[in-house]
Amino acid sequence: MKKFAAAFAVLALSVGIAHAADDPIAIRKDLMEANGAAAAVSAGLLKGEIPYNPVVAKEAIMALRAVSHAFGSFFPAGSDKGNTKASPKIWQDMAGFQATLAKFQKDTDAAAQASGKKGPADLAAFKAAITPVLGNCAACHRDYRLK
Amino acid sequence: MLLRAAVAVIIVLAAAAVAFWYLTMPRPLDAAALSQYGPSDAKRGERIFWLAGCSSCHARPKAAGEAQLQLAGGLELKTQFGIFVVPNISPDKKDGIGNWTLADFANALKRGIAPDGSHLYPAFPYASYSRMKPEDISDLFAFLKTLPPVAGKAPPDKIGFPFNIRRGIGLWQLLYLTDKPYVHLPQNASAQAKAGQYLVEGPGHCGECHTPRTFLGGMKRDEWLAGAPNPDGKGAIPNITPGKGGIGGWSEKDIAYFLESGFMPDFDSVGGAMVDVQENIAKLPASDRDAIAAYLKAIPPLPSAYTDK
Repeated sequence: MKKFAAAFAVLALSVGIAHAADDPIAIRKDLMEANGAAAAVSAGLLKGEIPYNPVVAKEAIMALRAVSHAFGSFFPAGSDKGNTKASPKIWQDMAGFQATLAKFQKDTDAAAQASGKKGPADLAAFKAAITPVLGNCAACHRDYRLK
Repeated sequence: MLLRAAVAVIIVLAAAAVAFWYLTMPRPLDAAALSQYGPSDAKRGERIFWLAGCSSCHARPKAAGEAQLQLAGGLELKTQFGIFVVPNISPDKKDGIGNWTLADFANALKRGIAPDGSHLYPAFPYASYSRMKPEDISDLFAFLKTLPPVAGKAPPDKIGFPFNIRRGIGLWQLLYLTDKPYVHLPQNASAQAKAGQYLVEGPGHCGECHTPRTFLGGMKRDEWLAGAPNPDGKGAIPNITPGKGGIGGWSEKDIAYFLESGFMPDFDSVGGAMVDVQENIAKLPASDRDAIAAYLKAIPPLPSAYTDK
């Protein structure tokens, strides 16, 4: 957990100089955009719009996994105010939010495990690994994101 | 002089009372209309069930899987008029709608009236369901009959004066209850867009959240689907017209894929109350999602009626 958070802090610094480390809203938005991009790659593979490639598939899984472990560190008290679509429910029910996040982490860990060193061997294996992961997007946004 | 004034006041009040009584009378379907309801198919009704989103409100809050088919009620809808508690519509004879006839059911959906003639609150979206086809209502009723009866009434609504006077809803119905289309599609609109109009404006009741409301709680027809405040609190329900702030940048394919998968073109995901709606629509045939998409591309483009920024 700590390892991932540290890795992402470094990444956030290198990617966005504009995002000061004390701007958790900006950082968590970057993380969600990384998630969105990984979901786009996943859907492209699933729909056959991107020819299946285990390396690409593994990259998507690993990006989602890294975000799942880093994300929860960027919701300090007070960061509900500002340019954010994070729902006030996160801070009203932090335990529930963390439990939802833990489910996301569990699913990404399982997908990473299943993809092995070289990535999921074929599209069917990737589909089996990624489908539970992608279900977490809406499951969390249902309660914890406005809109 | 004083007496004459008093008599005049009494006459005016009496006239107002009579007018109120007359204007707020329940207006059930007549025999000719009811004759269109009848032979039904529960299997076809299942499609209408998901399209109309019955379980999103009538199942217990947060129900998933098989529990979505137990329509015990109990969800609280917090509105400016008070808190509506969603009723039990399982086929339980005592606490649900097990004793309702098809005519009772049709009158609830088309005219907003309960079997005892009292008005239903329009939190139940009959201002949309009024557009539903008799055969779809018949099929839906047959499907509901196949679901498990659940004992136990939901708690009563918590509504303050004057909105606790159900009779007054008759006035609301005069203003807002019609089975006419909400928008006029262009003459050359495709058959697909027209099919989508029925799905969106009728059983799908999309406008109930996506269209802003007047202070009396009726949908603003001239801002159809242009977005609205979030009834659950902070945030906005998005503009889904092709206008500014809406989804004009989405292709029909994008819209259909969103309804199927929950992912937007930028791979942001569906959120809030729309999660349940999207999961319901994902259960429909692809042709229904394509029709909804065609309709949403064909409606008048409007700038967002409400933004939270």
